[in-house]
Order: sequence, then structure tokens, then C-alpha cells
Amino acid sequence: MMPRFEIIFPDNLSDALSVLSSGHEHMQIIAGGTDVITGLGQGSNRFKNTKMLIDINNIPEVNGIEIGREKISIGGAVTFSDILQSEFIERSFPLLWKSVSTIGSVQIRNRATIAGNFVNNAPCADTVPVLLVYNATIVIESMSSKREISLYEFLSGPYKTKLSRNEIVTRINIPIPNKNLNGDFYKLGRRRAVAISRITLAVLADVNSESKINEIRIASGAVTPIGTRFFDLEKIAKGKKADDQFFKDMAGKLGEKIIEVTGLRWSSEYKLPVVQQVFYQLLKGIERG
Amino acid sequence: MNKGFSVVGKSVIREDGIDKVTGKAKFADDYKFDGMLHAVMLRINEAHARINSVDFLEIENNRNVFSIISSADIPGAKKVGMIKNDQPIFCDEKVVTPGDVIAMLVGESEDGLRPLLSKIKIDYSPLPVLNDPKKSLDKDAVLIHPEAGSNLIIHHPLRKGDIQKGFDESDEILEQTYTTQLIEHAYIEPEAVIAIPQGISQGVKIIGSIQNPFSCRRIVAAVLNLPLAKVRVQQAHLGGSFGGKDDTMAILAARAAVAALKTGRPVKIRYSREESILESYKRHPYILDYKAGYMKNGKIKAIKIELLADGGAYTSMSPFVTWRSVVQATGPYEIENVHTDVRAVYTNNPYTGAMRGFGSPQPIFAQESLMDEIALRLGMTPDEIRRINGYKVGSVTATGQTLKDHDVNLITVLSTACENTDFAKKWKNNLKKKSVALELSKDSPILKDDQFIRPDDNIKKGIGLALSFRGCSLGAEGMDASAAYISIQNDGSVYLDCGLAENGQGLRTTYTIIASEVLGVSPDKIIYLELDTGITPDSGPTVASRGTIMGGGAVKNAAETVRDKLTALVKEEFKLPADDIISFTDNHVHSESEGTLASFQDVCKIASSQGMNLSAIGWYKGPNVHWDEETGQGDAYFTYVYGCQVAEVSVNISTGEVYIDKITAVHDPGTVINRLGAEGQVFGGVTQGAGYGIFEEVTTDKGFIRELNFDTYTIPTSKDISEIIPIFVEGKESYGPWGAKSLGEPTLELTAAAISNAVCNALGKRLFNLPLNLEEVLLNIKLRPADTKRGSLV
Repeated sequence: MMPRFEIIFPDNLSDALSVLSSGHEHMQIIAGGTDVITGLGQGSNRFKNTKMLIDINNIPEVNGIEIGREKISIGGAVTFSDILQSEFIERSFPLLWKSVSTIGSVQIRNRATIAGNFVNNAPCADTVPVLLVYNATIVIESMSSKREISLYEFLSGPYKTKLSRNEIVTRINIPIPNKNLNGDFYKLGRRRAVAISRITLAVLADVNSESKINEIRIASGAVTPIGTRFFDLEKIAKGKKADDQFFKDMAGKLGEKIIEVTGLRWSSEYKLPVVQQVFYQLLKGIERG
Repeated sequence: MNKGFSVVGKSVIREDGIDKVTGKAKFADDYKFDGMLHAVMLRINEAHARINSVDFLEIENNRNVFSIISSADIPGAKKVGMIKNDQPIFCDEKVVTPGDVIAMLVGESEDGLRPLLSKIKIDYSPLPVLNDPKKSLDKDAVLIHPEAGSNLIIHHPLRKGDIQKGFDESDEILEQTYTTQLIEHAYIEPEAVIAIPQGISQGVKIIGSIQNPFSCRRIVAAVLNLPLAKVRVQQAHLGGSFGGKDDTMAILAARAAVAALKTGRPVKIRYSREESILESYKRHPYILDYKAGYMKNGKIKAIKIELLADGGAYTSMSPFVTWRSVVQATGPYEIENVHTDVRAVYTNNPYTGAMRGFGSPQPIFAQESLMDEIALRLGMTPDEIRRINGYKVGSVTATGQTLKDHDVNLITVLSTACENTDFAKKWKNNLKKKSVALELSKDSPILKDDQFIRPDDNIKKGIGLALSFRGCSLGAEGMDASAAYISIQNDGSVYLDCGLAENGQGLRTTYTIIASEVLGVSPDKIIYLELDTGITPDSGPTVASRGTIMGGGAVKNAAETVRDKLTALVKEEFKLPADDIISFTDNHVHSESEGTLASFQDVCKIASSQGMNLSAIGWYKGPNVHWDEETGQGDAYFTYVYGCQVAEVSVNISTGEVYIDKITAVHDPGTVINRLGAEGQVFGGVTQGAGYGIFEEVTTDKGFIRELNFDTYTIPTSKDISEIIPIFVEGKESYGPWGAKSLGEPTLELTAAAISNAVCNALGKRLFNLPLNLEEVLLNIKLRPADTKRGSLV
């Protein structure tokens, strides 16, 4: 049942932050609403005190995609459909573009926002592993402060983040990656559209002409409690030769790491071998260097 | 195809199509009435419990509560059922499955009522819960309905020939067990119904998303203790049913009607998706044991079949669903010695009933898997083994019925499907490419070096087929007759109606075409009326793919009755010889001797001026069938249809994903009336069958459903199936309008079996348990979360 609530549409950031500054539990920011509205409808504990929704779509400061020399800056209310329309993102952030294109359906993508994806922080959030390998940082504002932290740091647990009740994620900043970084995004769902991810992986690597790995970034979703980077594996890989045997070793190590982080779950019997397999295959994509 | 037809066999856009796609069509929840109240359901979180008392004290005087409706308010039958009256309208004594409703709150708004549900104090004693159908007939099993004396809902035996002798004479024996899963109809429109009191003595009117208005009327009348004529049921536009809006809707209509008569105001019940999946009945999961004896030359000598269907908490349609299974369980193969037992049993699981296919998809999955296995063992191709055993004219079925008086087109549909797909060649080629099935070690979850698969080796191609025969209409389930109403206006326009329901299958358009063909008026001059039990005679339920054959027959009869009158009138009016041949085409009336005589409109004007009755009730009654309960022998259905589907798939051996590249669906539905509608049936049925094959499953934890919405209950999207190719072989038939028979269910029943055979062809290993989801394909297991909790709700 949909509970009764009030909804307001502030048209500038300071108004929104001022309403939020009371910091009451009954306020909930809403952008696309694809998580909030369904959560309210299903009586999710996370929204059980919600009495007022603050719609941020009319706030100029959280809209638009700005392309800079060093980075792009995506507004907190930018939808997945907006991202898919950006040729610059398709060209410069192909993993992001690909992950966005696999989310839900056209109708979902028209409403859902990239910031909502990681603020909700479901284990299966599709853009999280991608934003992690692109080293995204986010700008968080309140009446009294403005801070920028890495997404990795922001995500604290399943459906939990470091966002305070009086804050808004205003921008997502992603550094434009160095041209030598190549990689891919992988998603496995139970069907080809409108599917909740069973496994997501993102890999970005800089492999030199002698097949040495200068740098590699690895992240996953849906196989770990939240989307996460594998810094240990990345460290091990640095300077190694990007060959078939090494990819198999890495895939095995990823499997071990996931067991360490997640433990054995009902789905492990399937997910563990498959995640190693598809990670190996993803790494094969960077082999050419 | 008879080339003489002017409309029959052409592609006609459905008459309700534009209204539906533009949002103009009125569905049940779109109806609103002055003073209308809403109702919400009271349930407990138990699968099996005795209700000791229900205390409404805390909410009785709440301003949001207009009335509390419970079993005590029911003037008539407190328990109902399509076959056996074992399902309470309100479960005031006992709940036997989590969907059960104890009582109902009625008030101005659902939002005002829902928070009050948790304030009602229910004292209950949990009872032992029975979830495993295999244990339901054990001596110490808890009885779901103690008054029934056992958990056995029905047992259908079938005995033909001498099974032991058959096995003794066989060269080889093969025994296998297959299972199929519980699935949801997944109609896009959830249940909605409104009951409107009709003055002091006129009873009640029901408007709802109702598949079978006459069955609904029977149950509502029994519950209200009113004569049938005082319950008028009108069907709203229906957003999908697939067999699913029958028992559930009758019960919801009865609840709304009890409340409407008690309060004197219209009462609406509408369900959310979760409530719909929770309470509505589903498709029976089956456990299927098959033992076949066969000769080295491929001839099957004997087959012993034992099927166990989980009927869940109530009888519902289980006796009829499993009866179709017993008739068709051998598949379309002539076998001398057959020994079949089909049982349906009670459990505390969600109850199961009618769903498109109706007891056929389950045995088809088993029997068609078995046929492929026998072929492999004998070094034959799947089509070879089927040609040897498949029905031909004069073949005798397992029930002892000789197939005759219609084109027994089984081998024709098989050959057509094989030729169109180059089946045998592809099947053999795929078989040669040995796949690297992932063998996983239980000891270590970490892959060994030789277990990794290179990206280029992921995809294996497979091709598989499945073959079926299907009895048309109700068969020995019951009386089989339908009515249609036609009324021609003096300007030549036409009202048409039938006692069978438009459930999305396009029946209105099919009937319009039939009337148009008979009268020679263009389809746009025919206005199809809504179905209202107060207007058309009882035509039985709209089930069993009987719409075209039965209702179509009635429409043709009605149109011909009026046309014959007009023929006589025209002969007299134009002073034509008695043996002149009069024809009705192109909105005109013609004679063989004089050519075009007049427009249809002018002829109707003349008829009207002479006081001629230009309306008629058409009737079509199926021929008698015969059935012996003890031996399972008899002429089960008066005619049959035949179908063959070939599935071509890509299987990812790293992940277990199955992608459907192509389904070629060859069906003999008799004469095709609306080509577009027929193709639509194939596209829809195949897609639904594919969902059954590879995705869909309602899983339960102690009777509680995990997949209560479409985020976890995954039906196929347009991205999951590539090509579907419908091919019609139009066999001759003496029944139905111009020999048109059935198509709706045959299109669905074959797909999962064909896909499974294709996956087996790709992987080189057989899968025995539907659905062929990721875990089943890769590991031959089903994995389930430990409970029904959702992470996002925590």
C-alpha cells in the first residue's frame, strides 16, 4: 500500500538544503523514484518514517552533464537516458555507457538516476562497479558544508552510505581516463532486459606493448555485499605479464576473495564458478594490450 | 484453404485493438459507481492453522470501517468450487494455504482500511504443514480437508493391453523421472471486480475481469442463495487470463456480492500484484515417472506412466486438468500396452487449477524428452522415432479411440517442421560437436586451469523438436454447447454476441469474420456486444481452446439462420425460381440467374417492412463423447489437433544462459479464420511456453511464495526470443465453422519440451527438471534463497 506523504519541488539548491537541514527522519530525497516509490509501496523499513518527499529534479545545480578537460561532472538528478544520449560518455566512458544501457527498460532508464543507483546502494546496482573502476568521486552538500569523497569511501554497506540526512549528492565527478586504459563491463541477469543482476564485473587495464600490466582496476557487483574494488588483486597484477595463465590465476584469486568477503551463500554453488569463468573471459579482452 | 472465402483466412485487425492500445478500453478497475465502497482482505501469516477466534473490537467503531464481512454474512453456500465445493469464501475455521482470506473490511477507501488489518486480534493454533506432494498420501500425513478422508483429490487410471507382456516382449527398457514447476499465469491486469446491488428484489450485478461469466454467476448465486437469473455478470475488457481468472474471480465476485447486498452499496475488490500472486491459483507442478519398453527397430511396445500433480490447498480444476493428462500422457504415439495412473493431491501449497495448456505441458515435457532419449539410444534422429510411432489415420490412442473422420496430420506437421528447419542435418551436426560441459568439483569452488572456457567457445547451438496431439474442447469433462446472438438492423448493420468470452484471444474478431462471411457484409458493419449473462444464453466456459470450434459454430449457425430467411424473402420478392442459388457477398445479394439483385441494406429494409424477424440465437452442440472411469478407455474428445515445434537455441556453457534463436511452430488448427489472430496465438503461446521452459517458477518456502512480483518472477521479454515462425497446415474437419478447430493451447504446450530437447542437443546432457534456468543448465540443480525475505526491504 502506498502511504500518504507530502511532496515538495524546490527549484534551487539552497531551498532544498534548508528544508533538509532540520534533518528529520521523515524527509526523503527523490529523483527518479524507481527505488523510493517501490520501497514505499512495499513498506520497506528504510522508508517507514517517510512523510515528505523532496523532489530535486527542478534544481539546476544537480542537473546537466558538464564536460571538462580533466573530468566530467554529472548532476545528481541526471537520468540513465540522459547518459545514454551523451556521445562523449559513449566514447570516453564506454563501460559506463554499456552498464547504463543494460539497466531495466526504457521506462526505468527515463526516470532512474545515476546518483540514485549508488545512494540506494543495492548489491546489484549496475553502475557501481563501473563508477568504481573510473575512480568516481562525489560532491555532497549540506547547508553548512560541501565535501567531495570517492565513491568507494561513500559506500558503506548494503543499502547504506555515508550520506547524512541533511545532505544531497549534487555531482558525480569522473576523471577522464588515460587513453591506455581499456576494458569492459559484464552483466549476467536471468533474462536480457528488466533483469536484476546476478553478477556484474568491470575491468579497466593499461597493458603495454610488451604485455606488461601497468595498471589494472577491478570491481564487481551482486557477488559481494555491495559493489566493490579489489585493490589486493590489482596490486598483485601490477607489472605482471597479461597472459592466459595469469588470467586463470587472477580468476581463481577473485573467487577466493569473494569467499573471504561474502562467505558461502545459497547462490555460491552457481555464482562462484561462473564469476571466475566470466572474469577470466573479461580479462581475455585486455590480452591484446 | 478454400479460395472461395471472402474474409475467412485473411488477416483482420482485432476489433478491440485500437481501444486497447490507446487506453480507451474500459477494464474492471476503470468502473466507478456512486457510493462505491472498497474491500480489503484479512489474512494470517500461516500456511495451515485452526482459527479459534477473531476479535474485531478494536476497529469495529473506526470511522474508516463501513462494514466487516465474514462467513456469518453469507446467506448461501459457504464453500464453493468449480468441481468440488471445498473452498471457503471466508476461511473462518481454518486456513490451509497462505493466500486464504479470513474476513474482509469494507469502507470508503482501501488506504483507510489497510492499517486496521493488523489491529484485528486473531487467535489461532498452527497445524502441521504439508508441502511435499509425495508425502501427502502417507498414512501419517496431516489431512488438509479431514472431511475428504484423504489428501487424494482424484485418481485417473488408464489400462490398455497387457503392460507386463509388453515389457517382456521389449528389447530394451528405459525408466526416467521428470519434474515440472509451479508457475503463475502472469496476466498483466490483476484481479478487479465490482458488485452492484440491483434494487430490492433484482439481486446483484457483477462487473469484473472475469474469464467465465457463467461459472462466476453459478458460484455467486450459490453463495447468495439467489436464482441464477438474479445474478447478472458482465465482463469488462480483460487484461489477460490464460485460464487464471476463473475460480479466483468467482470467489472475489462472491465476496464483493455478499458485501454489496449487506451494505446496499456497490463494492469493489481489486488486487495488487502481490495479492494477486499470493491468492490466485497456478499451474500444477508434476512429478512424472515414465517407463518405456521398445524394440530395436524403434517401435514402442509398452509404456507405464505415473503422474503426481500437486493440487495445493483446494480441488479447483485438478480433476479435469489431470484428466487431460491421462488421455494425452503417452503423447501422439500408438502404443499397444499402456498403464497410466494420474493422481492429484492436496498440500498446503498455493492451489493449482486451470492454465493455458491444462495438464498437457507437463506430460509433453516428459514424453518428448523420453522419445529423444530413446532415439539417441537407438541411433535414430528425433523425427525418425516419431515417424515410426506417431499417429496416422486409423491409429488407436491410449484410450482406445480410433482416429478417423478428420485429417490425422501428425506426420504432416512433423515433416513440415523438419523440412522448414533442415532439422535432421542440424541435429546431427550439433551432436558431433562435443561440448565441454563444466564439471565442477564439490571440494573446491576454485576453478582448475583446465576448466576455464575461452570466450569463443561459450556458445553451443542446439535444435530440438516436440510433437503433440490435443483433444479439442471439453471432451468427456462435460456438456459441450454454445450459443450466439445475431440481430440485423433494417439498414443492414449487425449486432453480434456470444456466450463465450473475449479474454484477449481475439474471439470477437473471429466471430465477426464468421458472421461477415455468411452474410456478405463487411466486418466494420458488425458491432460486437459485451458479454452479459443477462443477454446471451449460457455457453459453458471459455476454456479448452473451444472458442472458435464451439462459439464459432454457434455464430455461423445464427448468421445462417437469418441468411436463410433472407434467401427465401429474396426469391419471393424477385420472383426467382425455387432452385436458383442466392449468394451474399460484397454487401450485396446475388442470384445465379439474375446477377446482383440488391444491396444487403435494401434487402434488410424490405424484410423489416414485412415484419420479418432478423434476429436469431445460434446454437452449436458438440457430438457425444464417452469415457469409462475405471479403465480410462473411451472416445475422449470428438476431434483432435496436431502440432510440431522446432526450437533452435544458443546455450552459453559458461553461464547456463539459454537464448532462443528461433521457434518454428507448425500447427493444424483446421481452417484458419483470422490469419493475424492465429499468428498472434502462436507468438503469444510460444513466448509463454518459452517462459515455462527456461525462466518461470513460483518457489515456495513452507507454502509461502518468494516471487510475489515481476522483479523476481521473470517472464520473457521481447529481447529473450528472436524469431517465431508460424506455419499452418489446414487439415479437413467436419466439426466447427468450415472445419476450424483449436489453436490457443497447442501453441504453448510444445515449446518448453522443444527447447529442452534443443538444449540437450547443444550440451550432450539431458535435463529432467523444468525450468531450464541458469543453475539447472549449468549444474543440474535448483538453488533457492533460504527464506522469503527481500534485501531491499530490510
